[in-house]
Amino acid sequence: MLFRIIKNSFLKRPKAVLLVFLSIAMGAAVATAFLGIAGEISHKMALELRSYGANILLEPSAAQGGGFLREDDLPKIKTVFWKYNITGFTPYLFGVADISAGGKKERGVISGTWFAKQLEVPGEDSSVQGIKGIAPWWDVQGRWPEDADEAIVGATMAKRLGVVAGKELDATVGGRTRRFHVVGVVTTGGYEEEQLFAPLITVQSLLQRQGKVSRVLVSALTVPMDDFGKKDPASMTKEEYEKWYCTAYVTSVAKNVEEVMAGSRAKPIWQIASAEGSLLKKLNSVMLFLTVLALVSSATAVSTSLMASMSERSPEIALMKAVGADRLQISAIFVGETLIISIAGGVVGYLLGNQLAGIISRTVFNSTIASPLWLFPTAIISAFVVAIAGSVVPLRRALLIEPVRVLKG
Amino acid sequence: MVESIIETNGLTRSYGDICALKPLDLQVPEGEWLSVMGHSGSGKSTLMNLVGGLDRPTAGSLRVGGEDLLALSEDGLARFRREFVGIIFQQHHMVPYLTAVENVMLAQYFHSVPDEAEARSALERVGLGHRLKNRPGELSGGEQQRVCIARAIINSPKLLLGDEPTGNLDHKSTVMVMELLKELRAEERFTVIMVTHNQDVAAWGDRTIYLDDGVLVREERMKS
Repeated sequence: MLFRIIKNSFLKRPKAVLLVFLSIAMGAAVATAFLGIAGEISHKMALELRSYGANILLEPSAAQGGGFLREDDLPKIKTVFWKYNITGFTPYLFGVADISAGGKKERGVISGTWFAKQLEVPGEDSSVQGIKGIAPWWDVQGRWPEDADEAIVGATMAKRLGVVAGKELDATVGGRTRRFHVVGVVTTGGYEEEQLFAPLITVQSLLQRQGKVSRVLVSALTVPMDDFGKKDPASMTKEEYEKWYCTAYVTSVAKNVEEVMAGSRAKPIWQIASAEGSLLKKLNSVMLFLTVLALVSSATAVSTSLMASMSERSPEIALMKAVGADRLQISAIFVGETLIISIAGGVVGYLLGNQLAGIISRTVFNSTIASPLWLFPTAIISAFVVAIAGSVVPLRRALLIEPVRVLKG
Repeated sequence: MVESIIETNGLTRSYGDICALKPLDLQVPEGEWLSVMGHSGSGKSTLMNLVGGLDRPTAGSLRVGGEDLLALSEDGLARFRREFVGIIFQQHHMVPYLTAVENVMLAQYFHSVPDEAEARSALERVGLGHRLKNRPGELSGGEQQRVCIARAIINSPKLLLGDEPTGNLDHKSTVMVMELLKELRAEERFTVIMVTHNQDVAAWGDRTIYLDDGVLVREERMKS
């Protein structure tokens, strides 16, 4: 009988039902879209934020006496547990050299590095590693070095020495001189503008440090630090340590990399890591706030529609009460109606929300997103929540209807 | 001696400063057909609403079928209405989107379990076997009132209340409805309280009480 009442009630009042259905569907759609892209946005934003620079610094440990790391160990970085989170890395070997060009001469820093090195690691996908990948904001006037005797010069040093792309300069260390063909002048906005950058292998040879590197900068996708992530791993229980190790905190990824680089100490670059974490946290909060706001708006719309409908239906409710319906029976009819509409609204909202998430992803991030499995039940639950929240006030009003006043002849 | 199904002592109903029903002592024996007459605003409908558990008195006592209505909660009054009372309104209120048979089943649903066959049979008893699937808008006033009678008796109430049930009907329909009620009462042996303006309708009862300005001013027993 309940089904008959609800079915006939729907058929008799299609406009009112449609209004409630649309309110619920819109709420579920917005919630689905926002929650669907929230994870994706975090991921995409984390990727975008990687352009801010590396967030992990690998240096020789104190036990090494401030020595060097081994270049041979570098490919191991692409084999660690968090290898898919490591978006790039580049080694540096620093030395001081006498640099001269066109009759001008000064003592300056020469950095050997990878610019865009094709890295082949057995059992892993081929990748390109180097400065080009982890420091995309470097502005090179000219081009990146490709050969062993090509170099780029920091803008400040280039100005002092009066070199531009196409010129040559000499670097002398311990009586060994190497001539470089300058292919670009780099502007970074930082201390790099005071340095000369040349291929790692050439600088190793010049400095007589074959196979050695001074430090490695690693760029990794990480999750924002929370209270647990900030705990000292040394004080953790075994279970806590496993949880920490398996969460992509910048500290746990750093630890992971440190383990494969012999004699190294990995440190998060907190300036970058905390800024990213804070930004991602704020972004997630905004998404959550917008989702809640959309659901509240939707519930308000449902409530308004149901209130209008309740006024129209007060004789019917009064009659039901007069023939003996108690509060539970009245509630069952109206909650039943709302829940049925909410299931339909949830399904349609889910489908619309998925489309909306796809449009947002394509427009903002120029990519597609895969809808996670949990999103469907989430959409249905959102619709239920909207329906129930929107029904509270109208139902309360319905239960307060006095048959005597409404059915008065 | 026949037991009273309704007993009131000092039954009063006020709406703010207006006293719609002044302290009333009334006994209605089980099985009686009591007609209640009076002008508009005399307190007839107020009395009917109180007895039917649709309204609460301001003062006095009210026992219907042994139940102290003042002691019942909202849901207790709802249970009392569905188990004990059948009500017929002047404006034959029906749920507009349900068919005649569904409107009758609605009372069954709130009472216990809807039984379509029983609801059909009730409509056949009131002469509407051919109008089972019609909605209220497709029925005449007299037909709608007969659906309401079927709905009122479907749960075998001990007390049938009528608030001007023929007030909107023509003479022919009025006679038809009253004859139907008489037949049903003979079969079901329920007590009837009928509020009416119409002396002819009141004459169908066993006894008539007259209210004026909320006071019982006269009582008249009909000749059988």
